[in-house]
Amino acid sequence: MPGEIYNPNPTIFRTESPSSSSRLAQKRSLWINDDESTDVEENDEIEAIDQDEIYDLIRHIYDPEHPNTLEELRVVSAPQITVSGNLIKVEFTPTVPHCGMSTMIGLTIRVRLMRSLPSRFKVDIVVKPGSHESEHAVNKQLNDKERVAAALENPLLLKTLEESLDGINQRNPKD
Amino acid sequence: MKKYRKLHQGTEIANGTTTLLNVVKALGEYLTSEEDGVRTKGVDFLSSVLKLCPSERLNRQSARVLTKFYCSKLEDFDTIIPALKGLATLTTLPTSTEEDVPEILKAVFSHVKMKAIVQNVRFMVYTIIDTLMSRHREVLKSMNDSFISQYVALAEGEKDPRNLLVAFAIARVILIEFDISKFVQSLFDITFCYFPIMFRPPPNDPYGITTEDLRLALRQCLCATPHFGPLAIPEFLEKLQAGSPATKQDTLETMSICFPVYGSSLARENARKLWNALKLEIFQPTDPVTEAKALTTTQDLVKTIYSSGQDSPSEEIEGLAKDACEECINILRQPERSQAKPAIKILCAFMSTTPSISRYTLSQTVPHLIKLFTSPDNISARPSILLLLSDLIAAARDSKSKSEDSESALTPYKDEVIGILASGLKTSSSRQPALACLLGMVSTKNLLSNEELGFIVHNVNEILEADTETINDASSPAIKLLSSISTLAPHQIREQTLPLLFSSLPDRAPGRDAVTDRVKSWRVLSALNALCSEPELFETFVIRLLTKLDLLCFPAVLDDDKEPTAAYAHSILTTIYQTVLVKADDGHVDLVKYIESLVPRLFNLFVYSAFVYEGNSIANDTRLVAVGGQIITVVVRSLAQQRQESYASVLFSAYMDGELKKIAEGQQSIPASVDFKPFSELVTPVQRNLITLFSAGIIGLRKEVKIPVPNLSEFLATILSWSLSGTDNDLQREAGWQIISSMCNKHGDDASAFLQANLDQFWPDQIANPDVAPSTRQQALKAWIWISKALLTANRSLSSQYTNRLFEVFGDERINWVAAKGFGNTVSANHVLTKQNHAVIKLLYAQKFINQLLPRIMDGAKDSSRPVEQVAYLVALTSLISTVPKALYVHKMTELIPLLIRGLDLPENAIRSKVIDTFLAVAGGDSPDKSLVSEHAASLVDTMLKNSSVKEMPSVKVRTSALKYLGILPHIVRSDILRPLKARVIKDLGVALDDPKRSVRQEAVDARTNWFKFDA
Repeated sequence: MPGEIYNPNPTIFRTESPSSSSRLAQKRSLWINDDESTDVEENDEIEAIDQDEIYDLIRHIYDPEHPNTLEELRVVSAPQITVSGNLIKVEFTPTVPHCGMSTMIGLTIRVRLMRSLPSRFKVDIVVKPGSHESEHAVNKQLNDKERVAAALENPLLLKTLEESLDGINQRNPKD
Repeated sequence: MKKYRKLHQGTEIANGTTTLLNVVKALGEYLTSEEDGVRTKGVDFLSSVLKLCPSERLNRQSARVLTKFYCSKLEDFDTIIPALKGLATLTTLPTSTEEDVPEILKAVFSHVKMKAIVQNVRFMVYTIIDTLMSRHREVLKSMNDSFISQYVALAEGEKDPRNLLVAFAIARVILIEFDISKFVQSLFDITFCYFPIMFRPPPNDPYGITTEDLRLALRQCLCATPHFGPLAIPEFLEKLQAGSPATKQDTLETMSICFPVYGSSLARENARKLWNALKLEIFQPTDPVTEAKALTTTQDLVKTIYSSGQDSPSEEIEGLAKDACEECINILRQPERSQAKPAIKILCAFMSTTPSISRYTLSQTVPHLIKLFTSPDNISARPSILLLLSDLIAAARDSKSKSEDSESALTPYKDEVIGILASGLKTSSSRQPALACLLGMVSTKNLLSNEELGFIVHNVNEILEADTETINDASSPAIKLLSSISTLAPHQIREQTLPLLFSSLPDRAPGRDAVTDRVKSWRVLSALNALCSEPELFETFVIRLLTKLDLLCFPAVLDDDKEPTAAYAHSILTTIYQTVLVKADDGHVDLVKYIESLVPRLFNLFVYSAFVYEGNSIANDTRLVAVGGQIITVVVRSLAQQRQESYASVLFSAYMDGELKKIAEGQQSIPASVDFKPFSELVTPVQRNLITLFSAGIIGLRKEVKIPVPNLSEFLATILSWSLSGTDNDLQREAGWQIISSMCNKHGDDASAFLQANLDQFWPDQIANPDVAPSTRQQALKAWIWISKALLTANRSLSSQYTNRLFEVFGDERINWVAAKGFGNTVSANHVLTKQNHAVIKLLYAQKFINQLLPRIMDGAKDSSRPVEQVAYLVALTSLISTVPKALYVHKMTELIPLLIRGLDLPENAIRSKVIDTFLAVAGGDSPDKSLVSEHAASLVDTMLKNSSVKEMPSVKVRTSALKYLGILPHIVRSDILRPLKARVIKDLGVALDDPKRSVRQEAVDARTNWFKFDA
């Protein structure tokens, strides 16, 4: 990878712990500690794939330039994700407008979602409007099937990508 | 033959039948033969005999002669090897004295060409020098220059790890004890040329020398003398810059050890250069380990530089510490940026150097952070500032060295710090870091006064109070903080926090749809649980919660929908139970007195509800009764034997004779007219439920406590028959069986008639009898299993007769699954027969059980001639394996795996889930090179995929476990075995990615990621 560092000292944001309140509120039982006793066997309620779930999939991806996650750098955030039917739109914000890593980050997000979401979804990945000097080019590269496929043929790119995704399972809090 | 001769000679010399001199004489012409080969053999023979010869058989005269002889043989190319062998033995002998040393060294140094001989011969050379070094060091030292120069020439270029270990040991002695002034450079060359050690031991290395052995031995040389300092530092800097992570780490560790030896003035001279190099490893770390080591090395550098200065409190700090502090503080001007983190790490590291540096760092950093915090430009960075401050506070706390009672280094700043923290608490974004700071301060010894703790409690209460909506965000760190204060100043919590928490517990249950209120009341309860285990607080806690319970159970106005109220009361009881349990685990002595208050109040509540209260009290709910029982058990088991005796007697007189007065006491008075006979056929099911409380009072009794009944066997027989014919629900039956199980375990001898009668009559009449209704037979079997369990844990002789009976009904499809699962239930741990409940638990009982039964059960599971029984055996096998630790069966794993895979086809999800959990347990510690499951990988993948698809498997638990296992497979099976399956697994896991349940999808994502990753 090129030696140039685009943003040597980016701002780090505090990460939000996964909101337990919403989860507890979803718990419909009246009884405390009810989890173990009732297996959810008969409970056939469908929990749809939502904004938060997609955010959970990508927030722990590492920035290719820093030992920080996309969440810590606020490159991605939950409100920047929309789900409608089978269409998902993910918007991300490069830390500086001249960031040469933006395409790389977008590509990593794409691969992560390709691997983690059912094939019925169509995913659009775009940089936040006005946040990057070559916004159009980046968007084009990220959403063109053939260009994505071509990029993934590049072993050097692939290596950087896998490094950003390395250990992503361990970073996901399970409970 | 030859070997035998040598041995023979050795023994003969030992027992005096011959002498070494005779051997030499006999060897005569061989030792001087013209023929090279013969000479070699001759000298070798002599050396071998010498090695076998006891040291006391060799007098000074012979030693002297042999020394001369061997030294002369070193000149002869063909006898060098055997001569060195002889010298290696000879130099260790007491009769070889310092007189011989110069001659030996001269011969070795002038005739042995190290480059011309092989590793093991060189090893002899090093061994000889090492022996001389340890036995005749003074002689070597007297030769100083000539010895060092010749040794350096000899050791130069050595490459073998085994020889190097000896050479490093020799070098260390030279470096420390000899006058090396003329040889610094050459000694440096023959040691530093090995740094850093890159050696990797070959597989199956016979000498077992590790990289770490060599590293440590070399490091002992590098740090042996301050003379190396000026030469070493450039070397270190170069390695640090260019090296791999392993080299960097080795260099950092070596530097840490060397700095103090090389001395403070050298460290001071090179401080800038070293700091620049170390800084790089901290600000742009290659990996966390290197980063941590760089921090440690920085600490050691600072310690070395400032070690010479007197530690007076007023001194000015100059040099590196000052510069580095300023540099870091400068970076902290942008507290929200990524570089601030390494900067604070360095400052924190300074806290554990010298007291004056630590004071200096605090005096520079804390005011700086406070100023940043109060500056209006930095409002958005406040959370980051407090986060940095919390690291510093924790570092200051942990650095506090020897002086235990001295005041904390933070003391001068605490007022201002508390001030900004109080303001930080008020904003939600900076609340968490402010709490972290406070937690650090509270856990610092000798820092905060009682009033200051009170002030903190006050401020934390304010957020609990004001922010009911977001209580969840701050609650757990806030409660953690209050909980640490509760041990230091309980009255602050009792006076300030408890009233607040109790008042936020509603008097009436939140309605069915009031989810937020319900969650909030749960949070308050869990906060109370965390805060109230201290005796002073627990007392208030019990009184307040019991009052609340009375209000809920006997309300002025009845609710139509009782379930929310019952659930709310249940959550209160559960909280009491959890707190009581914490107290019991921590060994609080005040728990004992609650047998006089808490326990009678609970009995009163439940008895009044079941026997007196008009209308159906919520306390009649079985779930409430069950938790009530759990509380009673914990209190009773904490009593001493004598108190248990007296309690048992009032408990029995209440349940057997209706004497309620002594066990129940409370607000609602129970009229004397109440006929308390819960075992009678005439009582209602609700009243009968109270047997649970009886059982709860019994199962915690010590085995020394005599059961107050005239005849234990008769009593147990009555309970058993009541449990099968007089009960209404599982709660009651279980209560009965728990009484039986606990008593059979602790009083087996008194119950022998009962135990025998069961074998003779109960089994044939109630269980093996096909005329009895299957449901009754199943219940009877369950009772049987409870008894088996009691006998097994106590290792009683009838135990195996009980378990073996279970096999007899394996052919009876109406009850065989219950019997089969009994094997797991018998051996599994439960909450009744525990150490805490004073049960008799013999060592290794589970192991014995497995060893006895596993072979038979495995055979049965393989025998396909009787399909009904085969399935029962398979069920027994899965239940057994899934309840015991894997160490007990892992040796049979190869045989077990195919059976367990078949278990995954059994039509019961609970079994499948247990089997997969067993596979998961076995997978721990498994690795690709010696995997147990390799050969079954394909069929495991198959069945796990099937069990992970929602179409085929309704149970969320099974799907989750199956996916978890699929995710583990790439870690435990060789990639060449999995490669052919990869495409299919990735494709099929796509189905689980669309599972209706979020938790399942998450597992599917993880599993799929692992399959993408392996072999990529």
